[in-house]
Amino acid sequence: MNGVHDMGGLQGFGPIDREAQEPVFHTDWEKRVFALFFGGFAGGFYNIDMFRAEIERMPGHEYLRSSYYEHWLHAIEALLIQGGAVTHAELQARIAELQAAGRKEPH
Amino acid sequence: MPALPLEMVAPLLATGASTRMPNTEPARFKPGDAVIARNIHPVNHTRLPRYVRGKRGTVRADNGTFSFNDTVAHGLGHQPQHVYSVRFSAQELWGPDASPLDSVYIDLFDRYLDPAP
Repeated sequence: MNGVHDMGGLQGFGPIDREAQEPVFHTDWEKRVFALFFGGFAGGFYNIDMFRAEIERMPGHEYLRSSYYEHWLHAIEALLIQGGAVTHAELQARIAELQAAGRKEPH
Repeated sequence: MPALPLEMVAPLLATGASTRMPNTEPARFKPGDAVIARNIHPVNHTRLPRYVRGKRGTVRADNGTFSFNDTVAHGLGHQPQHVYSVRFSAQELWGPDASPLDSVYIDLFDRYLDPAP
């Protein structure tokens, strides 16, 4: 599809930010998303092309302002909902629960 | 529900998985053939970049037959087909201001290509 992911020839995004000592993961949650991908794949909920297609269906403005592993998380959530592993309501409830817990704990 | 056994994790991450898949379908193109990438705008997943559609290139190599991502992404089967390395000059893609020395090689599925007149 002609989504914003197909960026060849687009201009105005500035220079590529090259990190000198780039880590494999920047945060712990990225590790969990990476692992979750393989879990859902082994569970038969999607193949790699379904996964990519789901990322490409992200609204353009969300795609551009979110990170690489946020794209992964978006696709995994959408495909696990489509596959019946979790409902949208369950996901939202858990997010609210974690947000509430996070507000109580000092950072 | 199938699970990913612990002992399979390391081999899976180390090797990945090739999408090479046998098919006896004869190659429609051979190295040296002039081709035009189809000007198509599918709403499904595709590996045909927008900037190459309608552009003229030259087949440099036949990589063999591979599972077709465009159909696998939507549960429509593997439809394995030839994938060619196609060379496009930078000037064909980006116009006369591009360097005459530069070119882009793109691996393209058989279904993306027509013979150039």
